[in-house]
Amino acid sequence: MIIEMRNIKKHFGELEVLKDISFGVDSGEVVSIIGPSGSGKSTLLRCATFLETIDGGEILYMGEKAAHTDESGKAVYVHPKELHRFRSYCGLVFQQFNLFPHYSILKNLTDAPIQVQHRSKEEAEADAMELLGKMGIADKANAYPYQLSGGQQQRVAIARALAMKPEILFFDEPTSALDPELTGEVLKVIRQLADEKMTMVVVTHEMPFAKAVSNRVIFMAGGVIVEQGDPQAVFENPQEERTKQFLRVFER
Amino acid sequence: MTLSTMLSTMSVGMLRTCGIFILTLVGSLPLGMIVALLRKSRFSVVRGIIRVYISVIRGTPLMLQLLVWYFGPYYLFDLSIRGWRFPALILGFILNYAAYFAEIYRGGIESISVGQYEAAEVLGYSKAQTFMRIILPQVVKTIMPSVTNEVITLVKDTSLAFTLAYQEVFSLSKQISASQTSFMPFVIAGVFYFVANYVVAFIMERIEKAMDYYR
Repeated sequence: MIIEMRNIKKHFGELEVLKDISFGVDSGEVVSIIGPSGSGKSTLLRCATFLETIDGGEILYMGEKAAHTDESGKAVYVHPKELHRFRSYCGLVFQQFNLFPHYSILKNLTDAPIQVQHRSKEEAEADAMELLGKMGIADKANAYPYQLSGGQQQRVAIARALAMKPEILFFDEPTSALDPELTGEVLKVIRQLADEKMTMVVVTHEMPFAKAVSNRVIFMAGGVIVEQGDPQAVFENPQEERTKQFLRVFER
Repeated sequence: MTLSTMLSTMSVGMLRTCGIFILTLVGSLPLGMIVALLRKSRFSVVRGIIRVYISVIRGTPLMLQLLVWYFGPYYLFDLSIRGWRFPALILGFILNYAAYFAEIYRGGIESISVGQYEAAEVLGYSKAQTFMRIILPQVVKTIMPSVTNEVITLVKDTSLAFTLAYQEVFSLSKQISASQTSFMPFVIAGVFYFVANYVVAFIMERIEKAMDYYR
């Protein structure tokens, strides 16, 4: 397994956002996480990518523990130096893109590989150009983020994450900030990555996309995984009442 | 006194004015950044000290602060203040301007969205790399107009050095005007300040333009 999260607990003040969640993703798998807002989907992704610290549970990457719970019940992370290595296993694509506005598109893709992974400029730039070509925006290499449409910016953000050569890529509602026209071009790119067997976890509200592209769908509500399984099964024949209720909204 | 002696005497004063101006910027621009970062320190004692420092500096006149720095050592510690005039002057200016710059920097740093920090964190940038490579360049761009304002104010504030009887262009213009019963020194001083600020505004505008390549 690329990532395994066991019994994850997370609360913000009084609010329990994740209640004992466990899930894992195998190499090459594409997992969609669906569910109503406030169900903890984003928080789960943020815990997996170490943007949030868990309160309890275990996080493993490639079978190695990045965080575990000690005898007193507190979550303990590995040393920051070690954590740096774990971070390199995962990439995250944000809803709001979060490109670096003062860097050209090319530099957005090459800066971290050069500064963080100490790769050579030539290698990083060659990789970046190949990625931009794959995303269909090679001609934008010298442009700046503000000159691009939302859909193009999000494709740059995906390329930026891929430039770090992660084992797994997480997407936090990658199309929620885009209008329907631009949503398609971003989904197309994700679909293409799925065909190349890139391991991915996508939090999304695009039900047709989740159904068509993912190997597994997880339905979350109220901080727990209510139901998961084969997309056909979950969408066509949901077992839980909460799932049926949620999916009914999309049928209309 | 001929006009040309007046001009040459006052030019020497203008050089001293420029000295105060440059030394103050060299000291207060970086110090302001340190103060801004300490204001967000995880130690509440540090944050408290910085907050008091900023509020005292902003709440009292610079003229008074200069007098305190100059005469303080004598009245408070009975120390000789011979040769202390210029250091006290520069110290007073730097500490005053650092407080104002710190507040400008703080505003700039807070204007950067959390998403920028998070994107950098996920990509594995260290805290220092994130600040130097991602945050600071964007902060500099957003604060430039406020910094320009402050720098132009500083050109004019250098005249407060007359409180410590330091012979810069303003002090000299007063002295020469009184001794020669002439209005001319004030005109000359005015032209000097105006030209200095014109140059400052021109340079700052060039810097702002250089950062115009992104939004």
